[in-house]
Amino acid sequence: MLDIQNIGINFGGLRALDDVSFSVGKDEVVGLIGPNGAGKTTMMNIICGVYRPTEGKMFFEGNEITRIPSDRICRLGISRTYQIPQPFYAMTALAGVVTAVLNGKKRPHMCFSDAGLEASYYLEFVGLFSKRDELASNLNLYELRMLELARALATTPKLLLLDEVMAGLNPVESERALEMIWSAQEQFGVTLLWIEHVMKIIMKAAQRIVVLQYGKKIAEGPPEQIVRDPRIIEAYLGGKH
Amino acid sequence: MVKFELKRDRVLLRWGIEKYEWCIEPRYWRNPVIGVAILLVLPLFFYSYPHLLTMLTTANLLAAIAIPLSLQILGTARVNFGPQFYLGIGGYTAALLNLHLGWSPLFTLAGTIIVCGSISLLLSPITWIARGLYFSLITLILPLAFLDLTYQFGDIFRGEVGLFGMSPLLDLGRVRWNYLSYYYLSLFLMLLYMLTADKIGRSRFGVSLAAINENEDVARMMGINVSKYKVFYYVLPSILTGVVGWFIVHTFRSFAGVTYLPLEFMLKILFIVIIGGRAFVYGAVPGAYAVCVLEEGLRGFGHVSHWIFPLVLIALIYVLPRGEGLWGLYHKRHPRDYFPKLHVRRE
Repeated sequence: MLDIQNIGINFGGLRALDDVSFSVGKDEVVGLIGPNGAGKTTMMNIICGVYRPTEGKMFFEGNEITRIPSDRICRLGISRTYQIPQPFYAMTALAGVVTAVLNGKKRPHMCFSDAGLEASYYLEFVGLFSKRDELASNLNLYELRMLELARALATTPKLLLLDEVMAGLNPVESERALEMIWSAQEQFGVTLLWIEHVMKIIMKAAQRIVVLQYGKKIAEGPPEQIVRDPRIIEAYLGGKH
Repeated sequence: MVKFELKRDRVLLRWGIEKYEWCIEPRYWRNPVIGVAILLVLPLFFYSYPHLLTMLTTANLLAAIAIPLSLQILGTARVNFGPQFYLGIGGYTAALLNLHLGWSPLFTLAGTIIVCGSISLLLSPITWIARGLYFSLITLILPLAFLDLTYQFGDIFRGEVGLFGMSPLLDLGRVRWNYLSYYYLSLFLMLLYMLTADKIGRSRFGVSLAAINENEDVARMMGINVSKYKVFYYVLPSILTGVVGWFIVHTFRSFAGVTYLPLEFMLKILFIVIIGGRAFVYGAVPGAYAVCVLEEGLRGFGHVSHWIFPLVLIALIYVLPRGEGLWGLYHKRHPRDYFPKLHVRRE
């Protein structure tokens, strides 16, 4: 579904990503892990069209998306959530999701109130229907993460990029969020590319894991193989361990 | 095949696969109707006072400039410090076409729309490349540069004196009737702008507008073609502002850049947007009336008003809810989102 080929990017003199290649198959859950500053979020921003790579190519369902702007990438079927929630703070939860419903896919004949009904379905799915008329600025972190998930799902993505959704959540909330993501994958048939620091969660959720360090891919494989890889143990815990 | 449906709170119109809805609940239209009725009746009390009628007409025109500006601020997520640039372009275009080519007001209107549209389209890439302070600086310089041009090309623009003697939009034969007609025409123009802004705000484009204003990058990731929207929300308000210039030319029958292009005029418009409530286009009306009444009230103080006026305005900004202005006082009980709550009813 998504094919990343030799992607590299420079920020001035800094080489943020160097020759990274991997692919994501349909209905797969792929984890993208690595220590802080490894280039995970940069990778996600490149896939979403926020940054343009210095070299390399990307293909989504056979179409090249290397230099396509974010809005067209979204319409092709790639959506994302943010590491630090980025809701529309002055808009109600429902209005935020309506934006995604109306713009994520071409729906020229959908009227405003029908979009409201569809958006309410996504809010209900993530458990925020009762908060539909709350301003996003009044929601707590868990609710904001769920609102982001609802907004991302409302664009009807084929590939969903999750950027550290568990950050800042307590264990109970993390479990709830994980179940929500699984049920989203099941109900909406989305493929997931998931950046996560909570190893317990990502090892349980992902079928395959890609590991980045200093902008380079150092390993790729199933979770059980990744946890035993000495290079990954060294990258996370240092050479002494 | 057009099909009407009457429901408890709304009227539905279906046409093929299109569906349109109008809310008919009184609470949605009662207050606007009262507001418009007051504005319709108001000039009848001031029929014998032409200077007050002119003040009310000016208030309507200032509101008609502030409404597109509010729309532009929301849609481009940038503050335009030179909305009067297009007022000048529109005014001079209409005046020159009328004086030199003898075009009637209807044709000068078309000319104004074309010229303002073309110039704003040419300048619209500044909404992509310039952010924050840079955008404000560029837009601040534009009207001042244009003012300079009106002096440099004095034989065309007649510098400080300006152009005069343009054909009137309407001539009823009696001066007072003309004053009254100008008021109603300006009110019509202002309400037309209000209706346009309101329609945009309540439509599917309205939420996209709010999303762009909130966070451009996230809006883009939601599938909104932000660049296209920004061009639209730069060009449309510019044309609307240019049309106000056209209106001034054909009602006051004189137009001088020195009145409309300097910083003082721009400050007045920005004060209206801030006092009226920058998040609401409706705030422009109470804002414009407040500023005009204040200006008229302080006229007797002579030069003192130059510093009393800004002081009173600053005090008002300090007292009024931040960013919501006079409209915010009225709207305080409702959630402070840009647009009315979206009601979801399960049927």
